[in-house]
Amino acid sequence: MDTPLKRWICLGCGFSYDEALGLPEHGLAPGTRWKDIPEDWACPDCGTPKAMFEMVEIGYAAGGPELASAA
Amino acid sequence: MTNSFVLRASERGHETIRSTGAESSYIAGHPDGFLTRQSSFNFHEYQTGRPGFGPIRVFGDEVFQGAGCGYNMHSHHNFVICAFVLEGELTHINTAGRGTVDQLRAGDYYVFSAGSGGKHSELSISPENMNAIYLWVLPEQLYLPPSYHRAHFDLRKRRDRIVQLVGEADGALPMPQDLCVSRLVTDAGKSFLHHPRSTAHGVYVFVVEGAARINGEALERRDSIGVWGVDSVKIETAADASDLLIVETAMIDDAKIKQWEKVNGEVWH
Repeated sequence: MDTPLKRWICLGCGFSYDEALGLPEHGLAPGTRWKDIPEDWACPDCGTPKAMFEMVEIGYAAGGPELASAA
Repeated sequence: MTNSFVLRASERGHETIRSTGAESSYIAGHPDGFLTRQSSFNFHEYQTGRPGFGPIRVFGDEVFQGAGCGYNMHSHHNFVICAFVLEGELTHINTAGRGTVDQLRAGDYYVFSAGSGGKHSELSISPENMNAIYLWVLPEQLYLPPSYHRAHFDLRKRRDRIVQLVGEADGALPMPQDLCVSRLVTDAGKSFLHHPRSTAHGVYVFVVEGAARINGEALERRDSIGVWGVDSVKIETAADASDLLIVETAMIDDAKIKQWEKVNGEVWH
């Protein structure tokens, strides 16, 4: 229930999905958990399948979250 | 505790990627352009090997076959991409900062930290094949400001010693991760003892040309070895004009790799 929100990185291009930010322009509301994204979803930048993303525990650089929300 | 793995040249993942068909938006040089890639770690269609080494996710030996071949403009975020051109000429167009059009020849190399996002295109526009080693590293922070740096390694002048090209050192290109890349070009019969910064740092040695024994393990052209948990790495060259890339890295971001090692056995040949 209270597992921290995670980040996932595309191993094909480095695009990062942040559960906290979601991808509203692609229909994924902020807070959408990785496990709740359909398995046939693919990286919006390069088409790499969802299964080839890796969960990472890497913090943002200064200003990172703002840039990531605007992406 | 010492751990290591050896990866022979022929054991790497092999791909031939054509400019027609499924990859046509990525691969330049339609209709006959194609590139070949030998991957040390899982990447793209090659998913049956080792997932990486520390924060390294890609170590690819690529050849752009002939004039007009390469990669069309495509997007990257976050990964720190290093390229070492071994042969031919790489024309590299990159949007980081104010944008760069760069041409790299044998000995030249770049570090592209994609950070908050950048696009690049890489092409061979000269007739000879372009061979480069690509290294992708997870950054220590997400969404860093994108940056592009490049330099030259003079294979004739900087021989017979381990020269640091990337990472925290004078004259080396910056790397936003606890990782450095060095190169050793020397003849047969030379011996070097490399001390990783700590036993929590591993070393991945790739034989670009020639032959060497690494901690006693005999490697030939395009073989490689990863070793970690040791105080020192002994490098003994066994052929003239040996050329080695030496990547030293903190063994971090590797929960998935450790899981893979458990399933596949700790020492993998």
